[in-house]
Amino acid sequence: MKFKKDLPPNALYVHIPFCARKCNYCDFNSVVSGTKTIDLYLSALESELSALKGQYVFKTVFIGGGTPSVLTETQLEKLLCAVIRCISVSEVQEYTVEANPGTLTANKIRLLKEYGVNRISLGVQSFQDRQLKFLGRIHSGDDARKNFILLRQAGFENINIDLMFGCPDQSLDDWENDLETAVELNPEHISAYALTYEEGTLLTKNLNNGVISKLDECIELDMYKTVIDYLTHNGYNHYEISNFAKPGCECSHNLVYWNNMGYVGAGAGAVSSIDGARTSNENDIIRYVNGIGEGKNIKSFGEHLPDDQFASETVIMSLRLRQGISNADFYKRFGYKIEDQFGDQINRLIGDGLICYDNERLKLTEKGLFIADTVMTEFV
Amino acid sequence: MSTERIRNFCIIAHIDHGKSTLADRLLEKTNTITSREFRNQMLDDMDLERERGITIKASAVALKLVCDGKEYNLNLIDTPGHVDFSYEVSRSLGACEGVLLLVDASQGVEAQTVANAYLAMEHNLAVIPVISKIDLPQSRPYEVLAEMEKTLGIDTEDALMVSSKTGKGIDEIFDAVIKRIPPPKGNPNAPLKSLIFDSVYDEYRGVIVYLRIFDGTVKVGDEIYMMKTNRSFKVEEVGIFKPKMVAKDYLSAGEVGYCIANIKSIRDVKVGDTVTHYKERTAEPLPGYRPPMPMVYCGIYPTNNTDFHPLREALERLSLNDSSFTFEPETSQALGFGFRCGFLGLLHMEIVQERLERESNINIVQTAPNVTYEILKINKEVIKVDNPEKVPPVNEIEEFREPMVRASFILPAEYVGVIMQLAEARRGKYKSTEYLSEKRAILIYELPLAEIIFDFFDKMKSATRGYGTLDYDFIGYEAADLVKLDILVSGKQVDALSTIAHRQDADIKGRKLVKKLKNEISRHLFEVVLQAAIGSRIIARETIRPIAKNVTAKCYGGDITRKRKLLEKQKEGKKRMKSIGNVEIPQKAFLSVLSTDE
Repeated sequence: MKFKKDLPPNALYVHIPFCARKCNYCDFNSVVSGTKTIDLYLSALESELSALKGQYVFKTVFIGGGTPSVLTETQLEKLLCAVIRCISVSEVQEYTVEANPGTLTANKIRLLKEYGVNRISLGVQSFQDRQLKFLGRIHSGDDARKNFILLRQAGFENINIDLMFGCPDQSLDDWENDLETAVELNPEHISAYALTYEEGTLLTKNLNNGVISKLDECIELDMYKTVIDYLTHNGYNHYEISNFAKPGCECSHNLVYWNNMGYVGAGAGAVSSIDGARTSNENDIIRYVNGIGEGKNIKSFGEHLPDDQFASETVIMSLRLRQGISNADFYKRFGYKIEDQFGDQINRLIGDGLICYDNERLKLTEKGLFIADTVMTEFV
Repeated sequence: MSTERIRNFCIIAHIDHGKSTLADRLLEKTNTITSREFRNQMLDDMDLERERGITIKASAVALKLVCDGKEYNLNLIDTPGHVDFSYEVSRSLGACEGVLLLVDASQGVEAQTVANAYLAMEHNLAVIPVISKIDLPQSRPYEVLAEMEKTLGIDTEDALMVSSKTGKGIDEIFDAVIKRIPPPKGNPNAPLKSLIFDSVYDEYRGVIVYLRIFDGTVKVGDEIYMMKTNRSFKVEEVGIFKPKMVAKDYLSAGEVGYCIANIKSIRDVKVGDTVTHYKERTAEPLPGYRPPMPMVYCGIYPTNNTDFHPLREALERLSLNDSSFTFEPETSQALGFGFRCGFLGLLHMEIVQERLERESNINIVQTAPNVTYEILKINKEVIKVDNPEKVPPVNEIEEFREPMVRASFILPAEYVGVIMQLAEARRGKYKSTEYLSEKRAILIYELPLAEIIFDFFDKMKSATRGYGTLDYDFIGYEAADLVKLDILVSGKQVDALSTIAHRQDADIKGRKLVKKLKNEISRHLFEVVLQAAIGSRIIARETIRPIAKNVTAKCYGGDITRKRKLLEKQKEGKKRMKSIGNVEIPQKAFLSVLSTDE
């Protein structure tokens, strides 16, 4: 049987690697840059995007960062123009732009709306200024609330709020307060991330130097259980490890990643996965800009996984989804059943109560959810 | 060549007293090597030797020297200085007529100085006292000479003073070697009688035998006969070390060199054996050596059970060049199939383990080392136990005996108190104190070997700020109140973690041990209970909390590759562990029995 890993990619990711300030926990590809660099970058991005024109039919677009909303109004318009020229608007069902409170203005919001953006992901993290300060955010809890209201007033009907838990001196009460505030605002989607100490960040440095210490794992687990209970009770569907949505408002773009389907990435450091081959653009902004200018290859990384590894990766990514992975879909894609490759592991994990079958879908149990990484190691 | 023009000698010294550096100078001075070929510690062949700054294997080199218009052949045989390798020292001494007894001008007489000097005297060798490193500002050569006289009872009137650094005194050494060390006796026309004082295995040439010829000659084409192993071989090449091997037509009485004879296995060669001609044999073999006695044992297991055969091959390869290391297959419930290995001491064990990992590509798990015990059973049978697992049930034991050593410490007088405390804490029995001078003392204790093989040496060094030295000799077995201390992981006894302890220390040891294991074993999905037990009595308990939360919060398109690699790495780490039941135990945990400090 012919091995068919992927349909043609139908998701486009555009990376804006600029921020007003680097957050203490962030290890993403983002920098604080002057207007001139941003202009150069946007021109290069425009070239990269225009080369995509006509090649793919995108159903989802996601402009992330960094902070896309840090762009000036003129720059933002330039970006939105470049994107709209390489996609077929009528096919795009979900068009998300990430924004941070403190960088959104009424004019920027109007521009986003005008160019067809229909989903905003707002990096709130917390509504409490103490937490925000710890994380190194530039905005207040009040800014977040006000921005959310502005977006609603501008007519955005699909808004995500990013929240974060597990900061060293955050209490369970603090976290519950954040959740209550978020639910009062009634967004369609909430991403709730446990604070992660990434290599090379200020927080990790402070952790290693003993300036801060990690929150007790049991409290962190309580916080995680709390968000699941609270949001589920308030009408949100817990559909991925850290993501919650009102019915029908799951993020289609991110589902592409979790189902390990194809996608195209544009911009510095952006990753593409096309027909089983994964490539990454040059991370460094200047090298990216120069590379595009000189018509050179801007890929800095590429891998084409053997079939069994690609299948293993697919299982691992799909297990992030609460509904798990469909054996029928897997079979259609890879030509054999999940058990053919992972029979022993599956039996063992089912025995340990960490995964289970829900009809023909293999998924994490609640017990397995809390230690998902440990479970996933078995599928490597 | 007449034996009149040959001198065979060793340099013996305490570790770090400048033996290898002096050897380097002697090589340079005699133009044995060009400066282009020169590197420090020429005679230390293994990388490991040079890295650790210690000599492990003896090696030999031929030097040519003109003195009073006559050409002499000097054979210098290097010796190891560490207490673990005193066996190798005695091998080298058997091939010599004299020694340079080297003593550091600032450090003075130390434990291995004494031990090695006595060895040389036992062999009836000419001893030339040499004070080294006299260029150092803190040197005190005359005090050191007094110490030598006092401890060794040797005449130091003709002692030489050298500095290998400045070259001062090197010429006098040559003079002394020629005039004060007697030429070898022996008859080149008698039947061949030669001593194997070392051997190495070469992948291409087979076993290279290090020979000292006492009588007769040996040449290419000769049929030689090994008197102990009853094997005969045809000589393919003989030669001398300069220090690289240089072929010669023959070796004759008094000479030191090598012999290659298509010997495939090191087992066909016994160090200490006498080599003679197959047809015309010498009447009496040489006395040879007492075989080395392994003092320390540990289990070595492949992490992956399928590596059992490759591990056996790797151990065999290692033992080709190290006859003092022994191994025998054994089985552990916890670790599967592996080997019980015997070593001369802890340093020897570390070296073998390091070479094993370097030279083969096998992940190994090593159990904590132990000594050999002797047990008198109720039925009067006496058994030797080199593995705690082999200790019979308590009701079958009449007497549990442990190996004892006589330990001599040589140290600055101000540290006598701390060392006494240390020795008492290790169940030592005080024997005597003797003062070498106002400032230095020899302290004698009888100690259980088990108490000194672990971290005793390091403890002694740090308690004396590095000035104390230690040498010990096995003196016999002695009854003691010993118990087997078992470790249970989630209720299952792990044989590879059992140790033997003195009853009075067992409780504390057990408590410390489970605490250490708690830190070594990572958290599992379930609670892991660690217990220490003597028989059925649990003496300590710790629990390892299960993992509560382990989940990557964010994973989007750009993170997939990184995330997969992270999981792969975790999986790889797991491979290097041993599963006991369903608990993964890292290699390090098996060694945590070693040091019982916090």
